[in-house]
Amino acid sequence: MYKSLIYKEWIKTRSTITLLAAVFLAAGIYSFMKTGEEIRLTGMISFWDTLIQKGINFFTYYKYMPLSLGILTAITQYIPEIQQKRLKLTLHLPMPETRIIITMLLYGLAVTIIFSVITIAVLLSGLSVSFPREIIRLTFWFILPWFLASPAGYLLAAWIIIEPKPHIRILCAVPSAAAMSFFFFNAKAGAMQPFIIYLAIFTIILILFPLYSITRFKEGK
Amino acid sequence: MVIECENITHYYGNRLIYKNLNFSVEKGKILGLLGKNGTGKTTIINILNGYLKPREGNCRLLGEETNRLSPDTKARIGLLLEGHIQHSYFNVRQIEQYYSRFFPRWQSNEYWRLLEKLQVTKTQKINSMSCGQRSQVALGLLFAQNPDLLILDDFSMGLDPGYRRLFVESLKEFTASGEKTVFLTSHIIQDMEMLIDDCIILDYGKILLHMPADTLMNQHPGKTLENIFIELTGKY
Repeated sequence: MYKSLIYKEWIKTRSTITLLAAVFLAAGIYSFMKTGEEIRLTGMISFWDTLIQKGINFFTYYKYMPLSLGILTAITQYIPEIQQKRLKLTLHLPMPETRIIITMLLYGLAVTIIFSVITIAVLLSGLSVSFPREIIRLTFWFILPWFLASPAGYLLAAWIIIEPKPHIRILCAVPSAAAMSFFFFNAKAGAMQPFIIYLAIFTIILILFPLYSITRFKEGK
Repeated sequence: MVIECENITHYYGNRLIYKNLNFSVEKGKILGLLGKNGTGKTTIINILNGYLKPREGNCRLLGEETNRLSPDTKARIGLLLEGHIQHSYFNVRQIEQYYSRFFPRWQSNEYWRLLEKLQVTKTQKINSMSCGQRSQVALGLLFAQNPDLLILDDFSMGLDPGYRRLFVESLKEFTASGEKTVFLTSHIIQDMEMLIDDCIILDYGKILLHMPADTLMNQHPGKTLENIFIELTGKY
């Protein structure tokens, strides 16, 4: 039964996932090409100096991409369920309703986490060819909040989409946008490091939000 | 009793939809719910499906509260949403494979038997089908599920006369054993007349009558169910 539910989610999201994989790949190639070009133009020593003194990051193109990934995954998963109230068919399956929803949420979270892990691994491995461990470590802490925004954005988007009342959706969107801004502080590399744990805990708590929307849907709100 | 509803009271905002509504449906009966627009037919269907919590009262399907149905009981209830809604991003074969893993009494041959009557391929997407074809996919899935209770919301909606006839005949054949219970609504009373054993006529806020269709017809000789409905509820 779980396989069948995951199969349904895959059918809904496969085109979006393919498209996003292409976009992430293109952004990665572009980032490395741009960095290579900078190094060739200014020389490695000058480039390192600029990097350390001014705190320039290589991967600013990626800043909002993980968040977009989370939101797009939620849209492709839940808009078809809400359209014409197909969610009634899903919740009528002979499985406990919470398990059905948790399975759907875990699928979406898995998509965002797998994308994030692969992207971070590829980017940092690429950097490790030309840069010392300290710079790679700083870059990791710098970009990590952006990638944490992916599952958080996914869960908030799922919460808003499943909410049955349109005007409440707007009310949910305002605090969601405010909450997401915490993931995008323009702090110096490493400055966000102590807050990462709180962002991670916040993201885990967000799992309860779509479940609340489901309860409201079930009550016919 | 397969369906039991006791003292259902519901409001949308301050607008009363029903007060103390009571009805039940015996095993093997096909019950048609008739009512003008806005009398709350879909509201009853939503309460029965467990997708609306009434302000007061409770409903039971196969002995369980509608808002707390166990997976085993859900497997015994077939649901047709208004407009024959299904997961339209699947194709004809994918949707059968998807549902087959959930229902222990699944009968694939029932689905494919019905689908053979349509000019569709196994790889055709449901969202590229006509409303009539989608209705047959939805009905085929219900038959394959082999439920004890079918809840059909406005099954005639969007269907041309040919598909309406096909839908009614398929449903008659499926329920011929007398073991299946059906609760249905439709805007086309002639279709219901061919199917139902009992009928409930809803008026604003209450049940106007609940009786066997034969008794109702005998009380109004020479009249169709549609004429009786209009006579009882008024033209507008």
